[in-house]
Amino acid sequence: MQRKALGALTVAAGLLVATFGARAEGVEGKLVLYTSQPNTDAQQTIDAFKAKYPKVDISFVRDGTPRILAKLRAEFEAGAPQADVLLIADSVTMEGLKKEGRLEAYDKADVSAYPAGIHDPAKFWFATKLITTGIVYNTKATMQPKSWLDLTRPEAKNQIAMPSPLNSGAALIHTITLTSNLKDGWKYYEALKDNGTVAAGANGDILRQVATGEKLYGMIVDFMPIREKAKGAPVAFVFPVEGVSSVSEPVAVLKGTKNSAAAHAFIDFVLSKEGQEVALKQGYVPARPDVALPAGYPARDAIKLMPFDAAKALAESAAARKHFGSIFE
Amino acid sequence: MTLVLRQSRKPERAPALRLPQFLMPAEAGLPALVVAAAVLFGGLPFLRLLLAAVAPGWQLAPAIAVEALTSRAAVAATLHTLDTSFFSALGALAIGTVTALALGVTDVRGKRPLAFGFVFSMMIAPQVAALAFLSLLAPNSQVLMLLGLAPEPGTTNPLLGRGGIILVMALHHAPLVAITLWTGLRSIPHSLVEAAQMEGAGPATITARIVLPVLRPQLIAAGLIAFVAGVGNFGIPALLGLPVNYLTLPTLIYRRLSSFGPESLPEAAALALLVGMVAALGILAGMVVSRRRGGKVEIERPLEPYWRLGPARGLVTAALCLLLAVKLCLPFAALLSEALTPALGVPLTWHSLTFDKFAEVLFRQAVTIRAFWNSFWFAATAAALLSLGSIAFAYGLERRMGKLRRAAELVVELPYALPGVVLAIACILLFLRPLPGIGISLYGTPFIILFAYLARFLPLALKAPLAAMAQIEAHHEEAARLDGAGLWQMLRFIVAPILAPAAAVSALMVFLIAFNELTVSALLWSSGTETLGVVLFSLKEAGLAGEAAAIAISASAVILAAMLLLDLLGRRLPPNVLPWRI
Repeated sequence: MQRKALGALTVAAGLLVATFGARAEGVEGKLVLYTSQPNTDAQQTIDAFKAKYPKVDISFVRDGTPRILAKLRAEFEAGAPQADVLLIADSVTMEGLKKEGRLEAYDKADVSAYPAGIHDPAKFWFATKLITTGIVYNTKATMQPKSWLDLTRPEAKNQIAMPSPLNSGAALIHTITLTSNLKDGWKYYEALKDNGTVAAGANGDILRQVATGEKLYGMIVDFMPIREKAKGAPVAFVFPVEGVSSVSEPVAVLKGTKNSAAAHAFIDFVLSKEGQEVALKQGYVPARPDVALPAGYPARDAIKLMPFDAAKALAESAAARKHFGSIFE
Repeated sequence: MTLVLRQSRKPERAPALRLPQFLMPAEAGLPALVVAAAVLFGGLPFLRLLLAAVAPGWQLAPAIAVEALTSRAAVAATLHTLDTSFFSALGALAIGTVTALALGVTDVRGKRPLAFGFVFSMMIAPQVAALAFLSLLAPNSQVLMLLGLAPEPGTTNPLLGRGGIILVMALHHAPLVAITLWTGLRSIPHSLVEAAQMEGAGPATITARIVLPVLRPQLIAAGLIAFVAGVGNFGIPALLGLPVNYLTLPTLIYRRLSSFGPESLPEAAALALLVGMVAALGILAGMVVSRRRGGKVEIERPLEPYWRLGPARGLVTAALCLLLAVKLCLPFAALLSEALTPALGVPLTWHSLTFDKFAEVLFRQAVTIRAFWNSFWFAATAAALLSLGSIAFAYGLERRMGKLRRAAELVVELPYALPGVVLAIACILLFLRPLPGIGISLYGTPFIILFAYLARFLPLALKAPLAAMAQIEAHHEEAARLDGAGLWQMLRFIVAPILAPAAAVSALMVFLIAFNELTVSALLWSSGTETLGVVLFSLKEAGLAGEAAAIAISASAVILAAMLLLDLLGRRLPPNVLPWRI
């Protein structure tokens, strides 16, 4: 009897702590993260989170953004989404989920260290990094491209690979950004097609083709070639003079999560200086301005970003994919 | 002593005798079970897909399906699918038949290791094989550089596109053909050959006039396996076709799903139905061809090598070794060179050599070890269940189904013909909600993957036992029935021993393919049930090609070890259980 009473007391005390205790201590239970980060990075991210919140049983499911979404949609259709937190490539996808009412706002998130406009003003999703798309070239190539227009030059004929917006979230943003910023618009992509550009696969495929020398030039997200170059791969990354497009790898809480406390803790963690330093160590540009940049990047203010409007992009994304498909398929 | 023995046996025998009354009350019992299994594994996912295709969200909207099927992309992809799977099946048949005959009926040297290597090459996952061939022929290929044959930087890989898909798929599916033919060769009585030899027929004549005609059911079965495998193959056209926008139906579906997400689920489901129809076309064609079946034969003394090659012996041996080198050694060397360098494109030297990729995937990533075990258990469980089930299934289909047989076969074939991604989505749609009655959802548990594997590999497991069953005269069973044996006893004591080698081959084939399987588990895995294929693809997609290569090599090492172990145990197994022991 006594033992039972004691047990009940402990449980009650535990509940009390869980409800009123400091946030870090009270956070526990299962947390499922759906992410598009490469496996090594995702493992490091949850390891770092776990070191701070050891009671949270966090696990991750990793896939490309489009397929994470495919998985989620199937779960929506059957009425039982499994994820608590999403950490995926681009804010356009997040905007879409928000419009459908799939996300949960996190009003108490501390975003004071971030510039205005980088996160969703309604606090449904939060930018965690700055991932730009520029040009990669094989160091054996004869030309060192400096401008997006260099890819339409005869030296690059039949030597260009780029990810398809049908396969990659970042590539979709890139296409929308580029066509609305370059003065030629979609004509630029038609010129690329005429120059023998192959558009297929995701960023990892572009890295493989350029690093192995099957193609000499490619459009790609920055961290892949910069990381590989540091390891000795014969590739180099260029931030073209016109500027680069960017995605922010946003994080969000999924509506209907059974563990909001832990989900909020995860968002707090990735937005904290500590969490941002994990991204730095992995070779990404952290979203938080007071965290440094990894080796291999120019200074933060030297990276010229082309302007981009997430809400407008969402409205245009289906048309952009169709237009892209009509040129390259 | 005898008394004690009898007593201890009794309780064991009692349930065995009771079983038939429970499970198979009358003649209709077995067919009913076969139909039930066919509906569960083939019909149900297919119907759920059909529903998603024509009535997404329970509202009838067939226009989407019609539009999807008549689009230019769908028509082109259908033609590409037919084209690549037909020619790759022909290629696989040619390579597989020549190899099977060379190893089965001639006195070529080193049969065991050659057969072993050939079977082993089949276990490399299709996407890995494609990746390995791509690496082999890339401008930075270490292997070609060594030979001084490396192409200039900026040379497009010659394997990209139609030709490469056909070539790699033919090479990849050739062992499937060879294994099926070996099973058939064993069931040819040697007396046939002896009779022909007495008539003065040479070995070439015997092969062309006697062995091949007798093997016809197996040849057709093998060709169908290769064709259907080609139709459903995702890994090879994904790696060799997608980069140049050469799409087959599975890759088209994948691309639609991965780019447009679930809004394209109805469209994808419609396309999946199309793949099912293409596969059904192949099966129907096979039925027409095999309508006149070869005579059934009685096995007294199995076939022995009758073709003495004489001076050509060394030449044939060398040719087989070359085939194995091209199929296995060179791509493997290319993979290894990728796994041992610090980054893609770095030349492999003593200085750049690193085991860091292996350390990362084998020790730092908790998920990899888990994936090894998960894949092992999924594959082993599916193999064991399917091989046991296939005996009853083959018997039921061949002997008890009558006109229902073709329909049941077709239904069973569906999940294997469907691209894995789509079967996976059908499974999600089926099992995400709690099952009626028990209130537990299978989604997120290992059972959803196991179910998908059972559905997907049942037709594969059935091929060899069915082909074997077709060759057995019914008089054994008739004799047993006259003696008053029940159905269960007949299966247990007459059919099972005869089909055991074929069922064992089925088990092995299922295990080997399921162990490296990717396309089904790609959508069904959840945290904790990752499979090897998922981890590998995930790494490759994330640009971590070296890590992916390290996993591919480690997985192949595991399979190699398992095969060597089986080979050691082979001495205690009944003869002819291991396909490479010819």
